[in-house]
Amino acid sequence: MKDQIIKKTDFHPVLRVFVYLMVAVFTVLTLYPLFWLFISSLKTNTEFQLNLLGWPQNPTFSNYPTAWRLAQFDTLFVNSIFFTTVSTLLVIAFSLMAGFAFAKIRSKATTFLHGSFIIGILLTLQSIMVPLFLMAISVGLYDTRLGVLIPYVGMGLPIGIYLCTEFIKSIPDSVVESARIDGASYFRIFASIITPMAKPVGVTLAILNVSGVWNEFMLINILVSRDALRTLPVGILKFSGALASDHGRQFAALTIGLVPMVVFYLIFRKQITKGVSAGAVKG
Amino acid sequence: MKRVAHWWTEERRAYLLLVLPAVAVYWAVMAFPTVFSFILSLTSYNGGPIFNNPNIQLVGFTHYIRMFKDQYFWISLKNNGLIMAVSVFGQIPLGFLFAYVIHRKLVRFGDFFQTIIYLPCVISTIIVGRLWQSFFSPYGPFTEFMQKLQPGWENELFFDPNLAILPVLFVILWMYTGTYMIIFLANLQKIDPALIEAARIDGATEWQVLIRIMLPALSGVIVTACILAISGSLKSFDLLYAMTGGNPARRTSVLALYMYDNAFRHSPKYPLANAISVFMVLLSFALILMVRFTEAKFGGRE
Repeated sequence: MKDQIIKKTDFHPVLRVFVYLMVAVFTVLTLYPLFWLFISSLKTNTEFQLNLLGWPQNPTFSNYPTAWRLAQFDTLFVNSIFFTTVSTLLVIAFSLMAGFAFAKIRSKATTFLHGSFIIGILLTLQSIMVPLFLMAISVGLYDTRLGVLIPYVGMGLPIGIYLCTEFIKSIPDSVVESARIDGASYFRIFASIITPMAKPVGVTLAILNVSGVWNEFMLINILVSRDALRTLPVGILKFSGALASDHGRQFAALTIGLVPMVVFYLIFRKQITKGVSAGAVKG
Repeated sequence: MKRVAHWWTEERRAYLLLVLPAVAVYWAVMAFPTVFSFILSLTSYNGGPIFNNPNIQLVGFTHYIRMFKDQYFWISLKNNGLIMAVSVFGQIPLGFLFAYVIHRKLVRFGDFFQTIIYLPCVISTIIVGRLWQSFFSPYGPFTEFMQKLQPGWENELFFDPNLAILPVLFVILWMYTGTYMIIFLANLQKIDPALIEAARIDGATEWQVLIRIMLPALSGVIVTACILAISGSLKSFDLLYAMTGGNPARRTSVLALYMYDNAFRHSPKYPLANAISVFMVLLSFALILMVRFTEAKFGGRE
């Protein structure tokens, strides 16, 4: 990358020091709290009170099993995984289907229907939580898995449809037309031509949706009250609120909740970065 | 029958079946509730069955008037404004700075810094909120640090109504700067390196390259970032819910939390809550239109 190299003289040394300092401060501000969280989770309550910041004298992992049991992490993980996987698969499937129709089948309805999804990109989910709650109660979906799943799919669709339509538009029309001439039905074309080609956009959508649903708190907090349906964010907040003075266990619970997303991020860093910039579309 | 057959082509059938699942779900849980919310905000509904309920009456804009007269509405709106200011004037410039220095290799280990600066965005907001709440609490590192600087310092961050929003604003800056960095970085990489090299050979300084080539090339992205920042600030809920719960004395409330309090705490005031949500939708669209208008008037070099 020869063209990327900048002559050192272009930047005043003071400026370079300043820039390094900024980046370093941000890095410390991210790593230190996480480090403090982790070492605090290895302390008993007595030790935490005597030694707020230091390395634990007798590091112990005993907070972890207790936190796991008390916060019912088994249930939380199962629910989080369930809602995340199912909603992500449905969002991808529905978005590809509709995106294919919007991009490749002529219809007068497209402008209106596609437009309605685009407006949805700008809708704040917060603004529909009360109506959703009232609707869930009146149709009997309050406190049910389905009652959470449907809104999760709905909230992933606007960006999904936008990205899929754009992507499928970029596939040449001649691909679809020649398959039509050969007598393939639209469903056949969708299943054996479009879907395999749309893998990159599928990955982007999966990334966006997994991180969105896994961390989603507000909706599930109002749509569910049963312990059995709680996901990680809801369970962790309830646990940490109830045990606010039990620092070691609270920090152990936060650490357990933190690990999956951080690992997911470190593994799929490149794809996540790509997905985030692809998802940043202006309305 | 012939006319029906003519209308009901394979093309139409395929189109309908392909769009149906997405349209049905989206209209049911996103589009309809938005309209429903507006209707509810004009009624006196306060629990019980929604349909065929004789007690529900149309009351016009009563709840909007009530909302505008409520001091907590203004406190919440002000906090949303502060969050918006931090997003637009903090996250976006900082995000750009980081993207620029990493892209132009002004710092070494750019990849490492990029990974760390974006890390907060992937963690659940609830965990972030609890973590920083502990961090800034009297038993957290922040207190220890301040007491080293200034012995006898009392931590009243979360008890003082005037100060409590500050840690929240800090966390918001910390958490989302990475998003903008990623967006700017992706778009900086799209600029043809040959263009920059040519400018450099012609004797342009790095500063001129930044002002004349990079910023104009990014003007569209900056507008997008502003729109994201504005709609993002109106969405603030989880972080405040986990970090302060809107307290002390509801001084750190935001519109979404103010709505939540009216709908789900104490006796439900659904119409008022819906009036707030309608206001939020309108505000968000108005602000976005404003950004678009500003772009059309002053920008548009893209």
